[in-house]
Amino acid sequence: MRIAGPLFGGLAALLLLAPLLALLLRGLAHLAGSFGDWDVALTSLLLAGGGTLLSLLAGLGLAYLSIVGGAGRWLEGLILLSYLVPPFVTGIGLLFTLQTFGLKAYGVPGILLAWLLHYTPLAYLLLKPQLRSVLLLLHAAEVHGVRGIRRLKVLFPPLAPALLVAGGTVYIALLGNFGVPAVLGVPDRVYVLPTLAYARLTSSLSPDPLGQAAALALWLGLLALPALLLGQAPMVEAAAEREREPRLWARGLLLGYGLAALGLSTLGLLREALQNPYSGALEPAFRAAWELPLVRQGLQNSLLLAGVTTVLLVTLALALRPFPGLLRSLRGLLDVYYLLPGTLLGIGLILLLAPTPLYGTPWLLLLAYLLHLSPLALRALESGARVEGLVLAARTHGLAAPRAWLRVGYPPLLAPAFAAGFLIFPLALSELTLSALLYAPGAETLGVAVLSALNGGLYREAAAIGLALMGFSALALLGRR
Amino acid sequence: MLGLVSLTKRFPGGQGVLEVSLEVAKGEVFALLGASGSGKSTLLNLAAGLLPPDQGQVFIAGQDVTRLAPERRRVGYVFQDLRLWPHLSALEHLLLVMPRPDRKRALDLLEQTGLLEHAAKRPGQLSGGQRQRVALARALAREPQVILLDEPYSALDPVLRERLRLDVRTVLKEAGVTALHVTHDPEEAMLLADRVGVMSRGRLVQVGTPEAVYWHPTNLESFLAFGRANLLYRDGEALAFRQEWVREGGELEGRVLERRSLRGEVICRVQLPWGEAWVCLERNPGETVRLDLQPLLRYPAQP
Repeated sequence: MRIAGPLFGGLAALLLLAPLLALLLRGLAHLAGSFGDWDVALTSLLLAGGGTLLSLLAGLGLAYLSIVGGAGRWLEGLILLSYLVPPFVTGIGLLFTLQTFGLKAYGVPGILLAWLLHYTPLAYLLLKPQLRSVLLLLHAAEVHGVRGIRRLKVLFPPLAPALLVAGGTVYIALLGNFGVPAVLGVPDRVYVLPTLAYARLTSSLSPDPLGQAAALALWLGLLALPALLLGQAPMVEAAAEREREPRLWARGLLLGYGLAALGLSTLGLLREALQNPYSGALEPAFRAAWELPLVRQGLQNSLLLAGVTTVLLVTLALALRPFPGLLRSLRGLLDVYYLLPGTLLGIGLILLLAPTPLYGTPWLLLLAYLLHLSPLALRALESGARVEGLVLAARTHGLAAPRAWLRVGYPPLLAPAFAAGFLIFPLALSELTLSALLYAPGAETLGVAVLSALNGGLYREAAAIGLALMGFSALALLGRR
Repeated sequence: MLGLVSLTKRFPGGQGVLEVSLEVAKGEVFALLGASGSGKSTLLNLAAGLLPPDQGQVFIAGQDVTRLAPERRRVGYVFQDLRLWPHLSALEHLLLVMPRPDRKRALDLLEQTGLLEHAAKRPGQLSGGQRQRVALARALAREPQVILLDEPYSALDPVLRERLRLDVRTVLKEAGVTALHVTHDPEEAMLLADRVGVMSRGRLVQVGTPEAVYWHPTNLESFLAFGRANLLYRDGEALAFRQEWVREGGELEGRVLERRSLRGEVICRVQLPWGEAWVCLERNPGETVRLDLQPLLRYPAQP
């Protein structure tokens, strides 16, 4: 009886991690043969590293401006909006905007700029709380006469762990990003590991497409590993906010950045989607996009998949909430599917389930979404509200455990559950990496439809859908607030 | 009414063991006094069923409830952090825990605890003292056989604390309910309790009326628990006396080093032959005084 628990836990862990184990076994066998792709691995590493540095610098600057300027929720919403828009939409938007000004968006500079636009808000979100605390320490140092370069001694050491953690998170996101390199890299023959793995997988020339893709995914995992190991470094304790007069110049700069970022990713989309390129007349392309069967079907499939994924995950997280140990263990196990690039999960699932009837059906995609997005739901409920004390209080006063959870445990958890839903639904709706690898013929998702439209020369329709997705992201942002 | 029989609980990480036997009579208010980490709150959690004991039994109204879940023990609990339910009004708190929701009785209880006009308010709309009263009313609403109070006033300001604790005793006595009250404040224990138990390192080292434990502490821990304590060491023994016990006109000579004021009382730091002590004395620095330290308690000096 005593070994039944660990045995069951071990089996469950083995089952949940089976896609990664399958990837490891198949990828290792082909790893030696993939050394010829070292240049792509190096490109991935350098691009992700460079993009991380740029995003961290910009994110830190924005965080400083936000603290000094006392940014309100609307201004902060404007900054965060770029992060909620799917990366491939940012890529398409930037492509069209730069084309408007006669500039080239394809290639390394375009990819870096699109990443900067999309991931700077993530760095901002991760760095702002720590910077706020560190600025208080700096203030204390200044009060005690610390001036000039000596201030760095107070500023940098407490901020360094936060910079490392934020850098690791952004680096992994950039390394695994498929959408931006697919839109802005592939047409210029700039490949990174996710786009090369996809190309190999769909290539009819490759002798063993699955083995080669698995080896590339393994490279991706190896490059991501150091950042994963950074983990959650200790950070300075959050402190009370210092009373300060909001600086208008800082607010102005922040507003300038927000509008510029929005403009870069939106102007081109607006022009392409609303204006006829031949006559110059106002002629929105939304109806034309909607009339494309692939888009209509993609939207239906994505809505259904996103809805089912959201409901299942939030329900699962709520059901597990009374068992915090189990919730924590499961989240710890599944974190790997959210933290590691989606390409690993996608190829792992193909390897594991290709011989089963599940392969080639939308159920495979649903499984992939559930595995990939589950940590978000579990984490939201894990850290949402400390309700154990309230439930214990209810039980002490005579309520049986199920009733105590229903009456006093779950009500305060509804807010984090809704927040998790608002986070998961838009991500699932516009997901591209897993969809591109796993979609069943005839059951394409919206992301796949947009990419197909773009590759098929239907630029106006692609822009129209991109714009609609951007609008949806703005609504989701409002919903979460 | 409440019986804890040879109750044993090992603290995690080898931090010691709690071993307690205690009997609290029906309608009695019993205060557990002790320093932080002495095991007071653990004892309450064992009584409430929030922690399982390693050994021993818990009896409530003669029934062995050791194996019963918390919800089946008929206790009320005023938690240190109150644990009020943020989405329920004061009235809804009471109705939820009543075995048979009785609106009239709930309103009576709110009136009794001075909350009637705040019945519809949620915790976030109430002041600290009002939230405290909701927690007490909730504990009473269940018609408990025993009420457990875990340092319920620690987060309140001193003025409110003083007023509330007297009100709480009145409410408890009117309800005729048995209460086990944890505190580290000796004044609170003296004001509230019929009997006091001093806890130290997981054990009850003395039980008695507040006056008996104050005047006749049988051990050093009990002496220290009531505060305002002087402890001087001589020849392998600890000499203990309270600031307010000292009188002028004795044999022992001392010199006043410092004079301070405390709640309308003057206290002086005095150099005595065995060390310095604070005593209640209306003198000025530099003066020589002759003191009578009786009753002077003697305990074996601890390493």
